Amino acid sequence: MKATSNRLTRARPLLGTFVEVSVSDAPRADMDAAVDAAFAAVADVHRLMSFHDAGSDVGCLNSAASTQPVTVHAWTYQVLELAADMHRRSRGAFDIAVAPRLQELGLLPRGADEQPSDPEEIPAAGAIELLPDCRVRFRHPSMRIDLGGIAKGFAVDRAIDVLRDHAMPNGLVNAGGDLSAFGPAAQTIQIRDPHAPERMMCRVELANQALASSAGRLDLMRSAAVAEAAVIDPESGEPPRTVRAATVCAPSCMVADALTKVVMVAGERAAGPLEHYRASAIFVSAEGDVRATTNWQGSC
Amino acid sequence: MQWMRWTMPAIAVMSAAAPAYATQYMTVAEAQKRAFPNAQLAEVQAGRVWKAEAGGRPIGYFFFDHVIGKHLNIDYSVALGPDGRVHRVDILEYRESYGGEVRDAAWLGQFAGKGPQGALDVRTISGATLSSTHITEGVKRVLAYYESHLK
Repeated sequence: MKATSNRLTRARPLLGTFVEVSVSDAPRADMDAAVDAAFAAVADVHRLMSFHDAGSDVGCLNSAASTQPVTVHAWTYQVLELAADMHRRSRGAFDIAVAPRLQELGLLPRGADEQPSDPEEIPAAGAIELLPDCRVRFRHPSMRIDLGGIAKGFAVDRAIDVLRDHAMPNGLVNAGGDLSAFGPAAQTIQIRDPHAPERMMCRVELANQALASSAGRLDLMRSAAVAEAAVIDPESGEPPRTVRAATVCAPSCMVADALTKVVMVAGERAAGPLEHYRASAIFVSAEGDVRATTNWQGSC
Repeated sequence: MQWMRWTMPAIAVMSAAAPAYATQYMTVAEAQKRAFPNAQLAEVQAGRVWKAEAGGRPIGYFFFDHVIGKHLNIDYSVALGPDGRVHRVDILEYRESYGGEVRDAAWLGQFAGKGPQGALDVRTISGATLSSTHITEGVKRVLAYYESHLK
């Protein structure tokens, strides 16, 4: 069958945002099947890693892992491994154990029978023990995790894998700003100034790479509906004050997603982790200055 | 790794000429075909609700609905299986406005274009978190309608 140049783009509400999958240059029926399968992979990640669903891996860990080891899906384990590595390399700036802080701020829901944690008692992600055979144990009774800062990127990576497995010549997956693209032609991504969205801050040519962004919220009290945009500084327990928005380019979307939180919290001190993960970044400081790593590939 | 100061382009206002944009992903007919490839659809409520049948047996329902996104309507469809459970939800058309009124929104929007001339070929979605919450509420309404009218 002759390949067509028709682009197929579909969107579904998943992961608390809209996920867009786009492919082209393949027979229509193959593109339809590939896009459906990519959404199925994103839905699987959603089911495994939702904080809100007591039956998800995250829900099971939060309710049981402090009393006994819990066996999780290999995907969840993979995300937890990267989270642990990121926590160590960022000296705690990335921390999936900030869930109790987010609950305190009303940014994550609290279960009906769940007691508020004593702020002094909230452990860091170092208290998560990754055991063989995808088993996980928490070393602290009030440990609760939230993978909101990393699972979206992981889901994008899985969807990209599916498109490649379906022999798509190119593809773009975008989960509310966490995106990844592959194929012979670069995709032009425009990054906006978060405080003046009609203004373009820079343009990135994305080819076989991933890009993720995070922005601080101006007013935490406005709406819980935008909770997933929230980033908390694990040290202060409050939203970061020095960086108001960050974009990271990295080989995988999971890494890019997690590193945006490191840049939001650590600012220029994120240079070490960025270098380790072969990533580049641009951020807007609270004063409105824009800083980019010297390897940043964007253009004006 | 070192940091450098980044100078924003002086004139890079992109949406002045295009204060709103729309992306059509699928028509209602396409969405019906993807949800129920081998079914006949019979309209139950004009333009809104269809019953899907295959070989004379009911295999589900298809709903066309819209919710308000950040500012403008988003069209979406919900396909329910024969058990009344959600089979799939598709965004059919997304419309959104850019500009001064979203200035207070705390997101860093991005959009993807195609090639060097692609700056206006917007594809990506902003304000998506709020909008997806509205879709979730919309799907709950559809399920409630199914329970009370169609079950």
